[in-house]
Amino acid sequence: MAIAAPDASEHGFDAWVAHKRQRRIGNWLLVAAAMAVLGWCVWDTIVVDTDWARMGGALGIAGTIERFFLIDWSLIPHLLVPALETMMMATLGTLLGCVLSLPVAWFGAANVTPSKYFFYPVGRFLMVLSRSIHEIIWALLFVGAVGLGALPGILAVAMRSIGFISKITAEAIENIDPKPVEAIRAVGGNQFQVMYYGIVPQILPVIIGTIIFEWDINIRRSAIMGLVGAGGLGLVFFRQMAMFNYGGVTLVVLAVLVLIAIGEIVSHYARKAVI
Amino acid sequence: MAVATVETAAEPRRSWSRYRHPSSTIRFAVILGILAFLGWSIAFLNIDLSRVLGAFPRLAEILATRYFPPDVGYVTDADFIHSVVRTLEMSLLGGFFGVACSIPLAWLAARNITISRRIAYPFGRLAIMCSRSIHETIWTILFVTVLGFGMLAGTLALTVFCIGFAGKLFSDELEAIDMGPVEAMRSVGAGPLQVFQYAVLPQVRVAFTGIAIYTWDVAFRAATVVGFFGGGGMGWYLKRTTQQLESTRVAAILLVIIGLVLLAELGSGWLRKRIARMR
Repeated sequence: MAIAAPDASEHGFDAWVAHKRQRRIGNWLLVAAAMAVLGWCVWDTIVVDTDWARMGGALGIAGTIERFFLIDWSLIPHLLVPALETMMMATLGTLLGCVLSLPVAWFGAANVTPSKYFFYPVGRFLMVLSRSIHEIIWALLFVGAVGLGALPGILAVAMRSIGFISKITAEAIENIDPKPVEAIRAVGGNQFQVMYYGIVPQILPVIIGTIIFEWDINIRRSAIMGLVGAGGLGLVFFRQMAMFNYGGVTLVVLAVLVLIAIGEIVSHYARKAVI
Repeated sequence: MAVATVETAAEPRRSWSRYRHPSSTIRFAVILGILAFLGWSIAFLNIDLSRVLGAFPRLAEILATRYFPPDVGYVTDADFIHSVVRTLEMSLLGGFFGVACSIPLAWLAARNITISRRIAYPFGRLAIMCSRSIHETIWTILFVTVLGFGMLAGTLALTVFCIGFAGKLFSDELEAIDMGPVEAMRSVGAGPLQVFQYAVLPQVRVAFTGIAIYTWDVAFRAATVVGFFGGGGMGWYLKRTTQQLESTRVAAILLVIIGLVLLAELGSGWLRKRIARMR
């Protein structure tokens, strides 16, 4: 082996070059295939499906966009209460989401789950289910179940946040240091004491950081809940859109931006304080 | 009294308490403030707490009675399957254009390698933040208003959504790179584009590929409802059946959406794992 080394390395070099060339050809084929798929998508979307005549040309589009810039400032006093509602919906939804995600995280964390064969898959499935259904669909389901108002929005936001919060929490639980847990068990702590003194202090900073992050996202989610009948800024947006008052629509969008900027600032300082 | 002070001075650890004055007081005040806000919100939004708990059994009951036998015939219809294909197309295009636009924006918005901190950095940040802050459904409605119904509006809305989503992840990734190669390239006189191509891109290529796949996954999830507001794809069927109260058809569509999203998630997870191993 050692004697044949120089020869082998030369052969190895050739093989390496050939391998590289093969890989390059493979990569080019992959790129070509991707480009073909994308080209077909572009053709289907822009040529087949779009009715360019109806848009009225560049001037027509510019005219529509221009109407969005005639901002209707008189709407501001009517936005304060919906903005507050949106903020409250996001906060309550996040809180409910946290409460609901505690059992899910407990089931879905491999090292503390009550049963590996039943509860663990259930927990994992709930996490995926919560994330895979869009908040609009959750809102539609809950509007059907509890009627119009802020409540379906809160429930929808809560259901959508379960997935993320419980996933991060379960991962944090799986990565804890097992020594404190063992120590508490060794001195005779029961299941509850193990959880409260052994696990919770270790994962608390992670959970609080996640909750703050999720709250920030939930503000933008709850801002659209009104589109399907659940109050807040989305309802004002929907109404302005129905009245074709595009200036008012722009103002609502600006209000959403302001709310999110506030949320971002608050969450920035809150996260700094926690971590 | 004097004796006591002497004692505490000699053994300061004796008077240990879990609660310390400034930090614990501030913490309790913050918690109290949050609780007060929550209480106020419950009162302001007029929420009946018993209805919150009742909502889940009620949802289950409604699902079981009205939605239950999902109308499978409706979702195996050729038109519906075509709309699913179109949803997939929109998500691919939106993801592709979104990622293509967000890489340069992320470059501008990464504090350590941006072209100029005064002009380019705030511009990149603002562009990413704006496209992130507005929810994709609002973008859809705006584009539908300007461009009319159809897949073009949905694709553009998804593009903007992906710019916001991927741009943030990309710029975070760029801010965490090793600055050594960048400085080496700069010190031998490379321009910003050369620095980006030879010092930055090789470090983040694998991570960027993973993020791009994840972006497509999320864009697909969003694409299923874009049609609800006129953006084309299967969302339109959802809107039509919901408004006509054809609950069994809604149930079938929802099941299809859940199944497809699960497939997309599994597929993207598998791909991302493979790519992470190539690192």
